[in-house]
Amino acid sequence: MNYEEMGKPSKGLRLAFAITSVLFLVVLAISPLKDLLQQWKRYKKEFVHFAQTRPDTKRLLADFHSGIDQIWIPNLNVVDRCSTCHLGITQPSLLDSSVPEPFRGHPTIPHRAKEWGCVVCHRGQGLATEVKEAHQTTLAWEQPLLPVGYIQASCGVCHRSEIPDTPKLNRGRELLEDLNCVGCHRLQGIERPAMIGPDLTEVGNKVSREWVYKWLKEPRTITDSNGNVVVNGYENEEEPRMPQFRLNEQELRALSGYLSSLKSKPLEPYKFDARVIAAWEKKADLAQQGEVRFRQMFCVTCHSLAVTRAGETKLIGGDIGPELSKVGSKVNGDWLIAWLRNPGEYLPHALMPQYQWTDEDLFKVTRYIQSNLTDPDLLSNLPSLGPPRPDEIQLGQRLFLEKGCASCHAIKGVKSPSDFGPDLSQLGSKTVSQLLFGEARIPHTLVAYIRAKIADPVSVNPAARMPQYHLKPEDLEALTAALLSMTGQPATAAYAQLVVPAPQARFRPAGKFGEVYERYKCYVCHRFNGFGGTLAPDLSFEGSRAQRPWLIAFLRNPQTLRPALTSRMPQFGMTEEEAAILADYLGMVTQSPSVNPDSVSPKEFTPEMANLGKQLYEVKYQCQSCHTIGATGGYVGPNLNNVGNWMNAAWITAWLKNPQALVPDTIEPRRDFTDEEIKSLTAYLTTLRQNPHIPAPRGTVGTPGGSR
Amino acid sequence: MKRSGLLLLLAFVMLAVQCSCRGKTSSAQTDPTITAYDVERDWTNPDRLIPLNFEQSQGKRVFYEKCVWCHAEATPAGPSNRSNVSPTPSLINDGSILNPLSDEFLRNIITLGGSAMGKSAMMPPWGRTLSQEEIRAVIAYTRAVAQPPYHPPARPASQYSVKQTSKEEGSTK
Repeated sequence: MNYEEMGKPSKGLRLAFAITSVLFLVVLAISPLKDLLQQWKRYKKEFVHFAQTRPDTKRLLADFHSGIDQIWIPNLNVVDRCSTCHLGITQPSLLDSSVPEPFRGHPTIPHRAKEWGCVVCHRGQGLATEVKEAHQTTLAWEQPLLPVGYIQASCGVCHRSEIPDTPKLNRGRELLEDLNCVGCHRLQGIERPAMIGPDLTEVGNKVSREWVYKWLKEPRTITDSNGNVVVNGYENEEEPRMPQFRLNEQELRALSGYLSSLKSKPLEPYKFDARVIAAWEKKADLAQQGEVRFRQMFCVTCHSLAVTRAGETKLIGGDIGPELSKVGSKVNGDWLIAWLRNPGEYLPHALMPQYQWTDEDLFKVTRYIQSNLTDPDLLSNLPSLGPPRPDEIQLGQRLFLEKGCASCHAIKGVKSPSDFGPDLSQLGSKTVSQLLFGEARIPHTLVAYIRAKIADPVSVNPAARMPQYHLKPEDLEALTAALLSMTGQPATAAYAQLVVPAPQARFRPAGKFGEVYERYKCYVCHRFNGFGGTLAPDLSFEGSRAQRPWLIAFLRNPQTLRPALTSRMPQFGMTEEEAAILADYLGMVTQSPSVNPDSVSPKEFTPEMANLGKQLYEVKYQCQSCHTIGATGGYVGPNLNNVGNWMNAAWITAWLKNPQALVPDTIEPRRDFTDEEIKSLTAYLTTLRQNPHIPAPRGTVGTPGGSR
Repeated sequence: MKRSGLLLLLAFVMLAVQCSCRGKTSSAQTDPTITAYDVERDWTNPDRLIPLNFEQSQGKRVFYEKCVWCHAEATPAGPSNRSNVSPTPSLINDGSILNPLSDEFLRNIITLGGSAMGKSAMMPPWGRTLSQEEIRAVIAYTRAVAQPPYHPPARPASQYSVKQTSKEEGSTK
């Protein structure tokens, strides 16, 4: 081999060299090519084509530039490049659903994308410029896009107090509270309420061991004719607050044994006079009379009963108290009488008011409950339990703590555990790598994880202590959204200023009024300055609205004011004195600043004005579409037959001027009445009076409005 | 040279395939409880959920606060007031009556009341109670729940976009 030949590379080598150079060039070209072919560039080009097909091309292309678009809001820690591809989100002309994604306009919402960015609500990666990285979980980017169905969770990150715009989130938060999730978990913004389940210190006096066994096994009591659970034991169509625990036979026996042994002081039966009872019992229809009384007292405002119509079982009635269809087979008769006489003695935080019973009514209603609201099969199909053995009681006591029962139920002397379950106050900001999916065959996302955990806790973690809730699908979604909103501390200081704290209102007056208020639990249904229930009218300004004699008569014997409502004010059997205490306090304290009692003097009203008012009511404004006078009219507003005795003229005048100023969420629309029309309508309405002989309370006789 | 050209072509093809694969996102979910801001049950078919966007959802809230009493067969409180009102108000989902009415007419009758529009005075004016946004939202909700479904009147712009849709979809996906 000579030098020349040595210098000449062989054919094979030359070929290899050629191939490697080409490969090298290709590899070199990949990077610029990749850059050239980037998805967002393609979308940019497509948008330009697309814009040219639209009539408003000029406007669509006014803001267009070919590079990466970015919304940068340093205060919120927002760097969003979403508008690089979503080029039409701020264009109102592209809202139409026929516009192809990613160019479609963003539907109307209260926040503007330019001020807030996209990721604040939608999550995902604002920095990413590739479809997959921006929207989905990848190895490097852990925060996927939130499905629109849960987007309200993002509202809840800042809006910690309730806003009307987010129905799903509000429902979820309501459930978190109602189901007492804070009993075991730490959750942001939700205070731990009083023990949600009944105090069990004396439960052995109330129910039998068999009933506890059955309840623990399946806390739903109502079944249809085929034995299927159609509605549950607590709320109409809703979950009983008591969830189902996974207990084996031994545990059921132990817990039922322990609980039934809890009776520290024996129940002292309330003594009716035996001779009187004998006289009552001569009447054959005692239970029927009790039923009539039960209905008259409107127990169904808070309690529901199962009604079977055409083979379909439904719960009718309120959901504040437990459902009562089978309560006669559940509770001990002596306990029932003691409870009805004074619920606060057995359960200090009971919502049940203390009715003023006559012995006869109490006896009749108890008889009705025990003979009609029963189910002879309730405790059939149970193993014979007998009195509990000491070892069962001991095991039951331990299980009571281990299973988390003490998080919802108090027993005197048993300490309730704190932080029994995991802290969930930052669950919504967890990344996928922080979650343990176990054997669960679900998509590895936070949303799927939360849903699976609530739907079936053991599906994710076989050793979970969390009991089984049977939620309706929409409630499951609502709870998931509410949990996704739990992101702990705001991400930046700017957020912290935006967070709206949940309001905490309390109205617990002292004195005589406070005592009566507490005895009849007015706040369970009525609202006072933002505190209390929403079942019945808001009484924050009741003193401006109602006349004292009417108020007293109504409290003693409530009549139907709003015919459309199925729930009614119960008849408490209040004494005159109690009614007067309530009426005086309401008259003095619950006054609206928008109603000046001296602004209207009813003496000025003439029959001509009243006649004109009648014309306006019936012809021009046709108020009868919603209000009833006589026997005709609508159900929406209150019945006005007695409005002259009921309401103050000043209130009527102020109300006609602007109803929302007095009751912000009232249905009544604000009208364009002239002052003259308001005067005439007020004059007419004050002439509407029924049974003028309202019994005046003893001692303090007040003329209408005079006591204030 | 032929071979290397082939190689180059192969590289391009692979790159193109890779790019087009990335463009595809996961299959669209169809459950409106997950894909929509809010849902409303179709009154004529309880199994069907109608997806609502934010504005329609606000309309749903306003409807159930103010309008439901006369424009539905059942109300949150139980019985409907519809039978007490004459002439009988139309149901909010009755597309046969409401679809032919323009958004502008609906906005006027809600704002000014029935008597201002030559209809029954039993429909009160809501212009001083509800905001313009709320009235727009109620109309949007009405359109969303209409049975038969509501189709907005055709305008030149939307005609064009409809024609374009199939082509655009083909090229993006």
